[in-house]
Amino acid sequence: MSDWVGVALFLVVGLVFGAGGLLTSFLIHPRSKNKYKLETYECGLPTEGPSWIRFKTQYFTYALMFVIFDVEVIYLYPWAVSFENLGFAGLVKMFIFIFILVLGLWYAWKEGALEWK
Amino acid sequence: MHFDFSLLTTELSMFILGLATFVLGLVVPSRSRRGIGAFALFGLLAVLGLTVLNWDQQGVLLNGMYLVDRYAMFFKILCLSTAILVIFGSLRYVNEHLGNHFEYYSTIVFATLGMMVIASAGDFISLYLGIELMTISFIILVAFRSQDGKSLEAGIKYLLQAGLSSAVILYGFSLIYAATGTIVILEVAHATLQGQASPLLIAGMVMLVAGLGFKVSAVPFHMWSPDVYEGAPTPVTAFLAVGSKAVSFAALLRLFVAGLAGVHQQWDILVAVLAALSMIIGNLVAIPQTNIKRLLAYSSIAQAGYLLVGLVTASPAGIKAVMFYSFLYVFATVGAFTVVAVVYNKIKSDEIADYAGLVQRAPLAAAVMLICLLSMAGIPPLAGFVGKFYLFSTVVSGYLWLVYLGLIMSMISVYYYLRVVLVMFRDDPKDPAPIEMGSAANITLIITMVATIFLGIYPNPLSEVANSAAISFFLK
Repeated sequence: MSDWVGVALFLVVGLVFGAGGLLTSFLIHPRSKNKYKLETYECGLPTEGPSWIRFKTQYFTYALMFVIFDVEVIYLYPWAVSFENLGFAGLVKMFIFIFILVLGLWYAWKEGALEWK
Repeated sequence: MHFDFSLLTTELSMFILGLATFVLGLVVPSRSRRGIGAFALFGLLAVLGLTVLNWDQQGVLLNGMYLVDRYAMFFKILCLSTAILVIFGSLRYVNEHLGNHFEYYSTIVFATLGMMVIASAGDFISLYLGIELMTISFIILVAFRSQDGKSLEAGIKYLLQAGLSSAVILYGFSLIYAATGTIVILEVAHATLQGQASPLLIAGMVMLVAGLGFKVSAVPFHMWSPDVYEGAPTPVTAFLAVGSKAVSFAALLRLFVAGLAGVHQQWDILVAVLAALSMIIGNLVAIPQTNIKRLLAYSSIAQAGYLLVGLVTASPAGIKAVMFYSFLYVFATVGAFTVVAVVYNKIKSDEIADYAGLVQRAPLAAAVMLICLLSMAGIPPLAGFVGKFYLFSTVVSGYLWLVYLGLIMSMISVYYYLRVVLVMFRDDPKDPAPIEMGSAANITLIITMVATIFLGIYPNPLSEVANSAAISFFLK
């Protein structure tokens, strides 16, 4: 049971820490209102023109292709780290893996997924 | 640890076949891609031969992760035969409606590979991998007629259904793992036979019934199937209705009869109720259908109900009955859907009313449809009767109400099957021009018809094979 006390304590401290910061800032921050404060900040810009426009679905195929090779890297890193232990069999297996992925790239290329029209 | 690759001969050759079909499609110029269907077909025939030769192979890979036994071999042969019959029946359909797409054939090969993995899966991970490989391939196949809104709708519906059922199955797996501490099905069996049934285990079991209930389209998880069956290209519908359903039953048997044998008391009534609901709703809702594909979809829901009956007793006889019935269900369903596909090629309609006078326009197609529908209804000299006899004789002691229900519902099913037959044989055709079907489709039609009649008159060989496979299931 005593293990859970730590968890409860963690929860309470977490709540106090989060809520405390918000509360303190609410109490002491200077209040000045102007239109610049309502603008987008940090990430993003105000839109130019209407935002409900159609955009090319080709972004999607690009994103898909990107994700495939992005995920491939996740497998390549641990493989590269323990490359010496895996030996020749490891090399062959990774080649099979990459061959299958390249097959997909080849297909996408042939179907024209990489051409921006 | 020694890893015996020879146990994976069929899977590896299937994998290579799938890749080869794909690469061939990439390198061959598009005008000469017609041969790829034939290439995939002969490859599948070769793998089928290999599987039959390996019938006696037995072994366990990676501490029970992958089981090679006659039970698995039986379902592998079933899937491969289905794929071969479907490709034979669809060569022309694909050329006319789907274009020269080599992806169609390589996706069918990969879907079949997924089914083979399911049949052999010995733990939750390999089972899940097989299910996903099969399902993702089917999503592609269902939405293959990308110019057709209905096909796309079917694809989206199948995608949502697949995602939902996968999530439910995975949740069930994780709960069972929490309760037993293992993911290997045979070790789950030991754990459940020894310990008490914990609520966690029961919850996981219910999740698995629901998740696989989606796959076999048992009521109340059947909502997706009529729409998907109607929208998908007809050969794909046949493959989906047979292959996917049969291996989902293989997985159900492996998980419940082998894995959760210790809690049989908890799941038998659940499965019995699902079977009863599927039989009732499938057969009753089939009556008002006017589209032949929707009619066959509801009939296949009812067939799932019959098959679930074999699961209820968790006995070798039940397993044998399920295996026997699913094999002859292959012939009846593929036959019926191939007729639908060849007729659609000509008249561009799936309405039952447009089948008027089919016997004058395409005698062979009408005969095959007649035989297949009567077999599904369970009329005596045909295979369906023997199959239903095996299924229902397993539950005579203990679940007599299920037998009565099955009999009544079979009688009701005769009505709507015969309605199609009546339209084909009695009514005059609107357009008396004969429908030519192409020799490849004829092969599928003749094989399915002969097999359905032969297995009805002389069921012993298949019955013996199913028996020995069912016995191998319990030798662990």
